[in-house]
Amino acid sequence: VTPSEGARGGTGRQLEMESVLALRGLVLLRDSVEWEGRSLLKALIKKAALGGEQVHILGCEVSEEEFRAGFDSSINSRLVYYDFFRDPLNWAQTGEALPGGPLGALQAMCERTDPGPVTVALDSLSWLLLRLPCAALCQALCAMSRQHACRGGGPAAEQLCVLGLLHRELHGPGPMGALSSLAQTEVTLSGTAGQASAHILCRRPRQRPTLETLWFSVLPDLSLDLQGGPPLESQPHPDPHTPQVDPASHLTFNLHLSKREREAKDSLTLPFQFSSEKQQALLRPGPGPATSRIFYEPDVFDDLDPEDPDGDLDV
Amino acid sequence: MAAVATCGTGAGSTGSMVAAGSKNNVTSFQRRGPRASGSDSSYSRLVSIAGTRPSVRNGQLLVSTGLPALDQLLGGGLAVGTVLLIEEDKYNIYSSLLFKYFLAEGIINGHTLLVASAKEDPADILQELPAPLLDDNVKKDFDEDACNHKTAESNIKMKIAWRYQLLPKMEAGPVSSSRFGHYYDASKKMPQELIEASKWHGFFFPEKSSSTLNIEPCSLTHGYIKLLQFIQNTIYEEGFDGSNPQKKQKNILRIGIQNLGSPLWGDDICCTENGNSHSLTKFLYVLRGLLRTSLSACMITMPTHLIQNKAIISRVTNLSDTVVGLESFIGSERETNPLYKDYHGLIHIRQIPRLNNLIYDVSDVKDLAFKLKRKLFTIERLHLPPDLSDTVSRSSKQDLAEPSKLLGPGCGVMAGGKKHLDF
Repeated sequence: VTPSEGARGGTGRQLEMESVLALRGLVLLRDSVEWEGRSLLKALIKKAALGGEQVHILGCEVSEEEFRAGFDSSINSRLVYYDFFRDPLNWAQTGEALPGGPLGALQAMCERTDPGPVTVALDSLSWLLLRLPCAALCQALCAMSRQHACRGGGPAAEQLCVLGLLHRELHGPGPMGALSSLAQTEVTLSGTAGQASAHILCRRPRQRPTLETLWFSVLPDLSLDLQGGPPLESQPHPDPHTPQVDPASHLTFNLHLSKREREAKDSLTLPFQFSSEKQQALLRPGPGPATSRIFYEPDVFDDLDPEDPDGDLDV
Repeated sequence: MAAVATCGTGAGSTGSMVAAGSKNNVTSFQRRGPRASGSDSSYSRLVSIAGTRPSVRNGQLLVSTGLPALDQLLGGGLAVGTVLLIEEDKYNIYSSLLFKYFLAEGIINGHTLLVASAKEDPADILQELPAPLLDDNVKKDFDEDACNHKTAESNIKMKIAWRYQLLPKMEAGPVSSSRFGHYYDASKKMPQELIEASKWHGFFFPEKSSSTLNIEPCSLTHGYIKLLQFIQNTIYEEGFDGSNPQKKQKNILRIGIQNLGSPLWGDDICCTENGNSHSLTKFLYVLRGLLRTSLSACMITMPTHLIQNKAIISRVTNLSDTVVGLESFIGSERETNPLYKDYHGLIHIRQIPRLNNLIYDVSDVKDLAFKLKRKLFTIERLHLPPDLSDTVSRSSKQDLAEPSKLLGPGCGVMAGGKKHLDF
């Protein structure tokens, strides 16, 4: 894991932004109550639309007007919006709703796209996760990239980007873990003192995952502004005494002695060591042989020869 | 003395206790027994199939897992008819590498492969297999990487010692398929002609799933049913269970199942705690029955770190034969621990089967760590790095100088003085 400070020059930051935000595959935007992610989602949509990609949006949580607010008209005309907010269960039977519910809409999205870079925004993935079985949703998400690859040329990893907005507090560790294992990139939103940060975990196949941290803010026209780092006045002082990781703490063999063990070890007298206590014990006439007698009754099979008590003479 | 049986032929002579080698076998160990002239009917139990060898403990037929270090930890190899379960590491980097080693070993030995996955197309998985290391390259790479469990072989440029020039030279063939375990180069891909020459069956679940059936709560999920049917059909049609008498040489079927239990198979044990908790265990039970009655060996990788219900993990462990867990240090706090700086992760041998045996074949080493070097995957005993001894505190040695004064003169000069006795 390689954390980056993000304190770089202007052009360096732009290049870094391009490389880090070249998001492909399934991208999870994990936000929370304090740090909302919809503005970042819209900023990424705008970036994709300006880059000439086709953009499809599955809107479930907010109304279409609210979602489209903030985009200028040129971008708004490029967005293909599937509305599941107004009538999610299709009770109005208008006939323009897609069959199969949200999963059917996901499948239809893949069929309607032309080959080329496509960005699909799911607002939100939490809404889908709460209403659909998790396994079916995972299968549908994986099928999207595969179908897109089948239709157009080029590897699917380069062509399709699925941005899913996920609210961290709504789900347990199970579904979150399952989606994390499928995602190519996870962006976790947090921040300090008014400055939002994004921890981006990139999992490329067969390579070690990389973790980067970006400090950003979303401007009112939905463009991303990358900051150098956390605001100086609220920068936490670096911990002067980083706790040394004790390497011998969780081993199956024990290198340390506890206090009691050490005391016991120190007070142990070795058997062949002639300490002063032993000397006194030998000099002092003891209680007598009565305490250390061994009583033995000869057995039927014992054949004690008084001249050869050990029985080792070969006579 | 009769010639030692080789792996490729079905000669009637007995097998050797040491690993069956090529015709230029340097050892002449043999198992004594009645010589059956020409027919091997009484010894068909010890079938001589390429890439297998009998275990030295109990005669069980073993195949290699693709990693000779892992073979050694498992008691010689993976027994034919058993399941090896790999508990995946968090980012599925090293477990997929072990999976590829298993398949690559099958291709090198000429075994039939059955690859099942719900995430990647089996054809793509086979394209990514590591290339085998040739014999002379093996020597060079070991010198480069300075593996500490392999001594560097003598350099060709050096003059061979006196009498050894008279011995016949060992031939280093391109890929010696008669050896048991092979080493693979993780940075290169397997040559295309080897993959095409091999026989493999692929099961890619998203293509095979036709419809979403209504599943009852306690039955197998759709994906598992399809996979079991596929495996059963393959075993039956190819004759691995002896149903169609094979006129050609008997062979082993290597089954590799990737990411079993993940949501892509339609199973939700990774998503919820109270899901269909019996589907996976039923699958493993039926799979074990299929494997025991056929000449096949199976490796399954499972993301057990995602399974929410811990009781399922213990049930899964009981239903598998050999269970190996991988724990990588990526992203965890252990990465900064100076104890682990030489390694990439820990490997836990959680279970070893007791097949036709009363005792387990466990190694006495419990702390094992693995490291993926540039080309090789090594498993070593975890030991403290040498520069750690200064920081690790040791308990103070007992002051032995006091009583030593009372010792007689016969105790030697060392006993005198106030110095600590350092043994």
